[in-house]
Amino acid sequence: MQGNERVGRADSDADAKRRTNANGKTAAPSDSVGATPTDDVTAKSAADAVELQGKDLEIGYPATTEPVVECERVLLPAGEVTALVGPNGSGKSTLLKAMANQLAPDAGTIRLDGEHVQSLDSKELARRLGLLSQEHDSPASLTVEELAYHGRYPHRGFFESVGDDDRRAVERAIELAGVEHLREKSMKNLSGGQKQLAWIAMVLAQETDVLLLDEPTTYLDLHHQLRVMEVVRTLNREQGVTVGIVLHDIGQAARFADNLIAMKDGEPYDWGPPREVVTEELLSEVFRVDASVDADSPTGPHIAPHRAIDE
Amino acid sequence: MREETASRPESTAPRERLLDHVDGALATLCLGSVLVVVAGGLVQVSFGSYSMTPIQAWQAVFNPDVIFDLRAWEAFLLDADLPEMEQRSLIVWNIRLPRVFVAVAVGMNLAVSGAIFQAVTRNELASPFILGVSSGAGLLILLTLVVFSGLSAFLPLVASVGGAVAFLIVYAIAWKNGTSPVRLVLAGVIVGTVFQSLQTGLFFFADDIGVVQSAIAWTTGSLTGTDWEQVRMALPWTIVAMGLSLLGARQLNVLLLGEQTARSLGMSVEKVRFALSGVAVLAAAASIAVAGIVGFVGLIVPHMVRNIVGSEYRKLIVGCLFAGPALMVAADVGARLGLGLLVGASVQIPVGIVTGLVGGPYFLYLMRKQEALGEI
Repeated sequence: MQGNERVGRADSDADAKRRTNANGKTAAPSDSVGATPTDDVTAKSAADAVELQGKDLEIGYPATTEPVVECERVLLPAGEVTALVGPNGSGKSTLLKAMANQLAPDAGTIRLDGEHVQSLDSKELARRLGLLSQEHDSPASLTVEELAYHGRYPHRGFFESVGDDDRRAVERAIELAGVEHLREKSMKNLSGGQKQLAWIAMVLAQETDVLLLDEPTTYLDLHHQLRVMEVVRTLNREQGVTVGIVLHDIGQAARFADNLIAMKDGEPYDWGPPREVVTEELLSEVFRVDASVDADSPTGPHIAPHRAIDE
Repeated sequence: MREETASRPESTAPRERLLDHVDGALATLCLGSVLVVVAGGLVQVSFGSYSMTPIQAWQAVFNPDVIFDLRAWEAFLLDADLPEMEQRSLIVWNIRLPRVFVAVAVGMNLAVSGAIFQAVTRNELASPFILGVSSGAGLLILLTLVVFSGLSAFLPLVASVGGAVAFLIVYAIAWKNGTSPVRLVLAGVIVGTVFQSLQTGLFFFADDIGVVQSAIAWTTGSLTGTDWEQVRMALPWTIVAMGLSLLGARQLNVLLLGEQTARSLGMSVEKVRFALSGVAVLAAAASIAVAGIVGFVGLIVPHMVRNIVGSEYRKLIVGCLFAGPALMVAADVGARLGLGLLVGASVQIPVGIVTGLVGGPYFLYLMRKQEALGEI
């Protein structure tokens, strides 16, 4: 049923060139080998940046019979920030988990820089791909610095002690996440936003080529939301890290991401740069919100939501 | 040159911080525990049916003729023939001290085992016996004493095997596309309930009071009558288990970050969890083999230590290595001499009764004092 709807929409859509695939389950440029970098800064680092690509994915949970997410192609272009957006239950977190090999897809393959992630050793994968999940708990007395050192887990052998590489990576991560002043503090004494930055320091200490973040800004105050997004942006611009990020706030996604993947009912609905994806039509079809979009706003498409559309 | 001096503070800084931690709470805890063990040991060697003054006992303990006699150690640790020695030294070294050493080993094993299980199940109420170990061991103890009395000589071994087998059954029940802490604990409860019932049922078939008393001593934990044979039995396993748990401390720390995070850091969570549980079962089994099922030590000690040094597992395990023996030795003093002091009877009670009597109120105190007792 929904599949039919999607086809109908794609046919009538003037922008259908981005979704050349007939059933529309694609979240990647149709002709892409790698996407074209959007600006000079990314172009510089894109040379050694790494792309993450999923093909013919069917992803479900053991408890469900029907796949939760179906996706013919999904691409996180090398050296770019790609945001997954969509309403609750649209499958964006599920897709992200599968891309990080935390959830084995029922069908399909995920390739990191051309290699199957399923065939990589778990530590090897963790050295190249970092994931910050939505929920995490930490022992109350753990300090920010100790947490950051846990990010070095995949780089250390069973008997290896902390080396100079580890120290350097942790220092860099702490600096980049801007948590130097919190270094000695225990997690129990931090605010939600500070905690999130500490977790980001941990995942940065992992020093991966690809970083996946599952709703890192949800429940944070505006200041910390921006801090988190700035850290992600800096990491991407300066180190060429490929970023996949699930965001709840489509306005935020439009401001910070190079590409958006809009998910609806477990399928990618649209893919592309924010200015092309964020339309009034998308907001009503996917988010069921009546809104006006100012696409010419200098900071990216600006969304003014008016009201929820009745089901 | 300038570069060298500039980089030095950076490289020593973490080490200094590490020393800070070691210097602080943990060192105090370890020192305090050692003092308790020494004091408890001194009491244990001073009192008994052959009376001597504490000073005489002390002299016997530090008798250089024994301490520096290789043959004596061969006799103690390798079961060789005992060389001749003075009577006081003989009583202290051959009868009273081994019991203290067994208490030390049991305390270490139980405390570390509990600490590991609390991290593996992410449950602060986990004890060495949470995954069915005690009920499996208890059932086989009863079966051996009541039904297969011919196997009594192998009771320690049989008990440990029972614990390990019950643990494997629990794991098999909990397994469904992997395990989870909650499923492990629930499976432990299921197996524990069934085995406990069978165990209680077996009491009906015990025909004399001696068998029942022996069964109770084993299932509540007792150090009565332990000597060098028990030390020899427990020592190798204790060394292996304690070594492995120290090595596994970092894995435990990462497990505490939650399964998802551990997995995304590249840990094979199922393998690590099973391996660490195995180490904890080994430690528990070593203590069951020499002392039976001593309750509460494995639950209380990790709590106590966590309260003092925090939940960083390298510190926590080291703390448990010292605090466990302290509690166990102190409790055994109570078990051996307490009744004599209270009612003048020279009866010894199982040490498990004392640990329960001390542990319960201490746990209550913790619960009252701390709001967030559940935080691991």
